[in-house]
Amino acid sequence: MAVQRISMKLTIERAALLRSLGHVQSVVERRTTIPILSNVLLRGAGGELALSATDLDLEIVETAPADVSRAGAVTAPAHTLYDIVRKLPDGCQVEIDSDGAGTLILRSGRSQFRLGSLAADDFPQLSDGNDGPSFRMMAADLRQMIDRTRFAISTEETRYYLNGIYLHAAKSKASGDELPVLRAVATDGHRLARVELPLPEGAANIPGVIVPRKAVAEIRKLIDEAADTIEISLSETKIRFAFDTVVLTSKLIDGSFPDYERVIPSGNDKVMEVGARLFANAVDRVATISTEKSRSIKLSLSPGSLVLSATSPEAGSATEELEVDYSAGNIEIGFNSRYLLDIMQQISGELARFTMADAASPTVVREVSDATALYVLMPMRV
Amino acid sequence: MPIRRLPENLVNRIAAGEVVERPAAAVKELVENALDAGARRIDVTLRDGGRALIAVVDDGCGMTADELLLAIERHATSKLPDDDLTDIRTLGFRGEALPSIGSVARVALTSRVRGTDSAWTLLIEGGMVGRPQPAAHPPGTRIEVRDLFFATPARLKFLKQPRTEADHAVDVVQRLAMAHPEVAFSVTDDLSRNPLRLSATVADLKDRDAARLSRLALVMGRDFAANAVPIAAERGELRLTGFTGLPTLNKPTAQHQYLFVNGRPVRDRLLLGAVRGAYADVLARDRHPMLALFLDLPAGDVDVNVHPAKAEVRFRDSAQVRGLIVGAIRHALAAAGHRAATTVAAATLDAFRPEIAPAWTPRAGGSYAGGPPGGGPRPGSGGVGIATGGVVPRVLAESASSFQAPLALGGLPSARFEAAPDPGPAFRAAAAAASGAPPGGAGPDHPLGAARAQIHATYIVAQTADGMVIVDQHAAHERLVYERVKQALVEGGVARQGLLIPEVVELDEAAAARLLVRADELAELGLVLEGFGAGCVVVREVPALLDGGDVQGLVRDLADELAEFDEGLSLRERLDAVCSTMACHGSVRAGRVLTIDEMNALLRQMEVTPLSGQCNHGRPTYVELKRADIERLFGRR
Repeated sequence: MAVQRISMKLTIERAALLRSLGHVQSVVERRTTIPILSNVLLRGAGGELALSATDLDLEIVETAPADVSRAGAVTAPAHTLYDIVRKLPDGCQVEIDSDGAGTLILRSGRSQFRLGSLAADDFPQLSDGNDGPSFRMMAADLRQMIDRTRFAISTEETRYYLNGIYLHAAKSKASGDELPVLRAVATDGHRLARVELPLPEGAANIPGVIVPRKAVAEIRKLIDEAADTIEISLSETKIRFAFDTVVLTSKLIDGSFPDYERVIPSGNDKVMEVGARLFANAVDRVATISTEKSRSIKLSLSPGSLVLSATSPEAGSATEELEVDYSAGNIEIGFNSRYLLDIMQQISGELARFTMADAASPTVVREVSDATALYVLMPMRV
Repeated sequence: MPIRRLPENLVNRIAAGEVVERPAAAVKELVENALDAGARRIDVTLRDGGRALIAVVDDGCGMTADELLLAIERHATSKLPDDDLTDIRTLGFRGEALPSIGSVARVALTSRVRGTDSAWTLLIEGGMVGRPQPAAHPPGTRIEVRDLFFATPARLKFLKQPRTEADHAVDVVQRLAMAHPEVAFSVTDDLSRNPLRLSATVADLKDRDAARLSRLALVMGRDFAANAVPIAAERGELRLTGFTGLPTLNKPTAQHQYLFVNGRPVRDRLLLGAVRGAYADVLARDRHPMLALFLDLPAGDVDVNVHPAKAEVRFRDSAQVRGLIVGAIRHALAAAGHRAATTVAAATLDAFRPEIAPAWTPRAGGSYAGGPPGGGPRPGSGGVGIATGGVVPRVLAESASSFQAPLALGGLPSARFEAAPDPGPAFRAAAAAASGAPPGGAGPDHPLGAARAQIHATYIVAQTADGMVIVDQHAAHERLVYERVKQALVEGGVARQGLLIPEVVELDEAAAARLLVRADELAELGLVLEGFGAGCVVVREVPALLDGGDVQGLVRDLADELAEFDEGLSLRERLDAVCSTMACHGSVRAGRVLTIDEMNALLRQMEVTPLSGQCNHGRPTYVELKRADIERLFGRR
């Protein structure tokens, strides 16, 4: 069968094209062994241009208004096209013309570009029929869930099932009565972050899914420009985020997330409350001394006082004392200062609460005024 | 078919299949017999790679006619006086070799007991024993093995080329000779023009180490003798002696690593693992040092009866043996300090020379550096543009003047240090500050001398009492920083990051058990693991330095290494790799201009830092040219 190339012709505002291209082109890998993956698919029909890009795991489709004079589909090298459009003068019109014979002609003002084009039919499609449950949630809520968990996503490939955020429905037993919640959990085996929000309508029966790191990063970039609500649909193997004119579809990580509830300690009895900013700044200062690679820092607690200390055979030592709300027995516990700072960055309120057991057991960190997020951190032993 | 007892002759041939698998094995058995008989001189003759003839002649204690007859009986030996297999002091003990060889070849034994006046000879042909006949022979024994394997044609087919078989036989004799410097050996074979001749060394040299080293030099090469560090360590009843090569003298294979247990050459994986562990810091993984170690221990602590050809032994306490070897090598290398191999300097000289004269050419009259007749390099052929006299000072002066004009102009063009005009206040201050010695501090206290210049902002040129030194500033400083980082790690302990979700690693049961036995050792290095049901271990804590690493892979590697070398090398290697990356980032790079003060400080630090003669991969950090070497370059010698 001869490869069918479909011709297309349309005119579009440079600003609208640039915006959409900017969104989709970030999915495209710079180097790939499959040539079509470095291309963006342009489909013009019914007064709209739909742009899609994919890396076979993740696909973004975005539509923009356009004056379509000949409906059809064509592909073009994504990064080159993006660079061209970026350099065109503001406010101009861009004409995209394809004769269906392997060349795309882009005209704007007195500029003209001819780009090689691959058959649009060969462009892989990820977003097929989606028959799973779907629900809507506030864009701000999704942003919060991602921001507070993504730092804990593992980058180590052997435990691939930790390379994403685990999204699922659960029951929260926070204040006596059970409250249905939507939870996001991420861990790299050293620390864990869990955020829960009231369960959106229609999400009660969703399966637990692991959203891969790259999808998390892409959706996070798009949320800032998003409208108020986002529609999330799930199927067995994929998740789809849809809002405004953008649809992001991603494959899910095929694996089972560990039973994270078991590692969240419930019997820790040593409770410390400390000003989050004060604590973070003190950790940052003291950690200047700790060795480049291990970054260990020691917390020594006695009633009313916390002493942070670090020593390094080369650089010397540092201590800093903070007044804290603490009344349990004396305890010394070491942490990776980078992990502490990661967690403190997520805490926007004034006070942070540390709940500890001993120097070898996990510590729980939460924001005093906000129960939605919880962090677990494993100590370091020096 | 009913079960029956096999005839004696067949039994002997089966034994021969294990003991005598090729001519070299027969040579080994016969030479070992000669050594056990107290011979002082052993001559081996091979024809057609040992296929046509193997003759071993010794001047040992000899055998009577009756003993001759007994010797070719199976399990007849003089070497187990107390019938105690746990107390073996001789190389042989089973009484298997002669009957085995006799069953597959035509053997003639001729022997005369020292002090008697008659010799006897006995013929065995494919297991058929003749009658002892009177013969003429000096005291000692002569064994001639003709037509080896004529009785087992299948074996004959599997033999390699005569040349190859002869090489193996020579190798066997060399190994035995390494352990017995007091015995003279010779191997003559019709295929080789250079017969092996090793004269006894102990007669004229009282010092045992020197005798041994001169024998080792003959077998392993002169380079080894020049770059070997003596080893001497004792732990309880274990005694380890021998020589180990400097890291800068390295080979692509572990072929040149010899271990002798109570004078018996053995191939032991324990040695390979221990050596890799001991050199882990100073050699890349794919390079291997040369060494010959002699381990003496009570006969009861080692079982030599585990391998038909006795190529392997088993130690009662292998961990102790390994610890002794690793400790002794590390100690010896550290004591060698900043020494780098002389092969490095030799290679440098070769690079300068118009043609390469191998170090051991006879025409050099014994000393290694016989240049070509006429001596000096021809202009333009030196390769480095340093050949003609006028060029050197100018290059140096230019590069030096860019940072310190008075020193460069005043000090450098004149080659003689003492006679140099005032080298400038900066240098004097530097030398005094760095060494506490007078400005001419190139004395014996400062073997790396006084820095004279930096060239290409990469290499430091220093003048020593009797020559010059060129230092690669990055390699040298990296090594110094690396040693410091490692020291800090040792002193501070390895910080361990607890795992929130412990990692379960599935292994086979034996591997898991091996890991758990060594759990304490691993915990010291920051890896805490526990048993988790059959064949599984669960990792609870990992070294904080290896954050984000592949824990599964690490644990599997460790299990494999424990099986192979009885030592988990991966963990330490990975920690060292992190240290080495940190060292690389934290050290002075090539291209950085150094002041004379900084250069001298670097040289002084190198002198006091162990192992500073090579970088972490076994490349030298400096090259030394003796004054004599330089003079030779210019044809003055």
